Amino acid sequence: MGIWENVLLAIAGLRANRMRALLTMLGIIIGISAVITISTLGSVMQSFISGAFSDLVTMDSINVYSTQKPDPARNYYLEEDDYSIECINDMADRFSDDISAYAISAGTASGTVSDGKKSRNINIKGVNEYGIKADSFKMLKGRNVSAEDIEKYRQVCVISNRQAKTLFGSVDNALGKTFTAYVKSDNKSSTMRDYTIIGIYEYKMPAIISMLVGGRQDNDWNSDVYAPYSTICRETNTEVRFYYFTVYAKDANKAPEVAQKIKEYFDETFYANNDSYMCYTEANSQQLDQINNVLNIVKIVMSVIAAISLLVGGIGVMNIMLVSVTERTREIGVRKALGAPNSAIRIQFIVESVIICLIGGIIGITIGVSMGMIASIIAKATIAPPIFTVIVAMGFSMLIGVFFGYYPANKAAKLDPIEALRYE
Amino acid sequence: MSTVISLNGIVKRFYIGQPNELEILHGMTFDVEAGTFVSIVGQSGSGKSTLMNIIGALDRPTEGKYLLDGLDISTANDATLSAIRNKKIGFVFQTFNLISRTSALKNVELPMLYGGIGPKERHDRAMELLRIVDMEERALHQPSELSGGQKQRVAIARAMANNPSIILADEPTGALDSRTGRLVMDLFHKLHEEQGKTIVFITHNNELAAETDRIITIADGNVINDTGLRNKPTAARKLSQSDLPEGAAESGVAAVAGKEGK
Repeated sequence: MGIWENVLLAIAGLRANRMRALLTMLGIIIGISAVITISTLGSVMQSFISGAFSDLVTMDSINVYSTQKPDPARNYYLEEDDYSIECINDMADRFSDDISAYAISAGTASGTVSDGKKSRNINIKGVNEYGIKADSFKMLKGRNVSAEDIEKYRQVCVISNRQAKTLFGSVDNALGKTFTAYVKSDNKSSTMRDYTIIGIYEYKMPAIISMLVGGRQDNDWNSDVYAPYSTICRETNTEVRFYYFTVYAKDANKAPEVAQKIKEYFDETFYANNDSYMCYTEANSQQLDQINNVLNIVKIVMSVIAAISLLVGGIGVMNIMLVSVTERTREIGVRKALGAPNSAIRIQFIVESVIICLIGGIIGITIGVSMGMIASIIAKATIAPPIFTVIVAMGFSMLIGVFFGYYPANKAAKLDPIEALRYE
Repeated sequence: MSTVISLNGIVKRFYIGQPNELEILHGMTFDVEAGTFVSIVGQSGSGKSTLMNIIGALDRPTEGKYLLDGLDISTANDATLSAIRNKKIGFVFQTFNLISRTSALKNVELPMLYGGIGPKERHDRAMELLRIVDMEERALHQPSELSGGQKQRVAIARAMANNPSIILADEPTGALDSRTGRLVMDLFHKLHEEQGKTIVFITHNNELAAETDRIITIADGNVINDTGLRNKPTAARKLSQSDLPEGAAESGVAAVAGKEGK
């Protein structure tokens, strides 16, 4: 008796009890579709969050911080704990083979911009030529802050396309214009200075922020004005010191390695005699790895919860198969009397249970994949159909069929033909 | 004339070793020759059903030896018993026991399905058998669409599917009215006379038993009367009850048993 004949026999058995077979399948359908939907949603979420993260930072960047040692000698902070421009330049020379650039931003000042009619509050960030890149913005018009601007303490700045529109009507109109800003500093009263606009950058709200504020792109979340750090530090009367800066690795893949080397370098040189502070570096790719790890755990936890519903479905299959065996005791007796060996009876019921699970699995996969696709369209994330999950789900639903079908099938196979024939 | 059924000192006990140990058969001994239409008659509780279960290879005797077509049933394992039931015995039950929601044709094919016969051959032979029992036109009907007599005729066709050594009929007319019962009985006579089938007919209807070649009466687990062969076997009865040459049937069973044995 071939497997195909068993399949036909099982299908005939299931057709005899359509409603029951369908309800039993429902458990498997819900279980499988839940697992697939959730794992697809997990992938959508993962791709969305890592996409958003990539919007904010680039993979070649390494963040360098000044941080307190685990057992600091003092609990207060001194200016010398932060990086000086000299030590950063030394580091850049030392690692010229590994890094392409570094971005610094210092002496953030707050002020008010006015064109005579309108005025608005702004942040002025003192940066070097990579500061705008470090904030993940791109130049739109004009030029970036240059090394020369920094050296000569020029009163120049780069503003966002939106500020340009608000203050000057259009991007083209803003370029070359001068505006006045009142800069407040800690130990000086407000200074009024003129800044010439040398460039416009394109303000783009990072996807993650856009998601948090509900996608309102006109929301004026962060719209900094960038100026040479030397100029701003002079305005705010602060020494040029950096608690934090960003380094760009030439090879993004080597960023974690370079990060480690930079940490060792600073700890051995700049922080060699510091009793309380040390260097801490972190490559963005490492941060992304950490985020992905967390997301993977979330995904696994969610999938496990979905898998529980699959388990419940499987138990439903077993329950129905047991009912079916009891109900068909007499039929089993007749089959045995006609010469069906135990193995044929066992296979008949296992095949029935596998078919229930397989059909349920196919329907569940279809629903799950569709739901996942809908979710990925809504989230605007391009997620390939989870082929691997689909294959695993197919295999798993068959396995459920065999696993939860075996006990009832074996019970049927072991029935005594005489008892079974006598069963009413 | 060869012996199909050979029972020698068959004892059947239940609840062995327990306080309520029960001996149903107390050492039955008789042979049935090939081509005989034999009836086993007895009251309820006489041990008829237990004897039928043993003859039908559904159960093994506690003591004694039972040879069916020369094969020892007494010591056979489950897989061998399945194969023997499939190849050597055709059951006809009082309550027909057709598989519901399955056509008459599929019901007749069933023993051949378990016997490993291919779909085409199965279908052709099942149709031929349905023709013999005059149920050809109802081949695709389900049991629920058939009358009692029609169901029993399908069941008889099914019993003959694998060309068994014996047809074991347990009260086959018990659930039928006398007229339909008569038709079924005539069918058994026809099979016996035209096809030379060995038929073991279990009944408590003495009138029907009187039509058969031999009547074995049992009571309280013993044979109390055996008429022996009352008629000379007809020419038809002399025909081999199987198309297979001597010994082929046994080897067929052995092969199936070996394949399905664990």
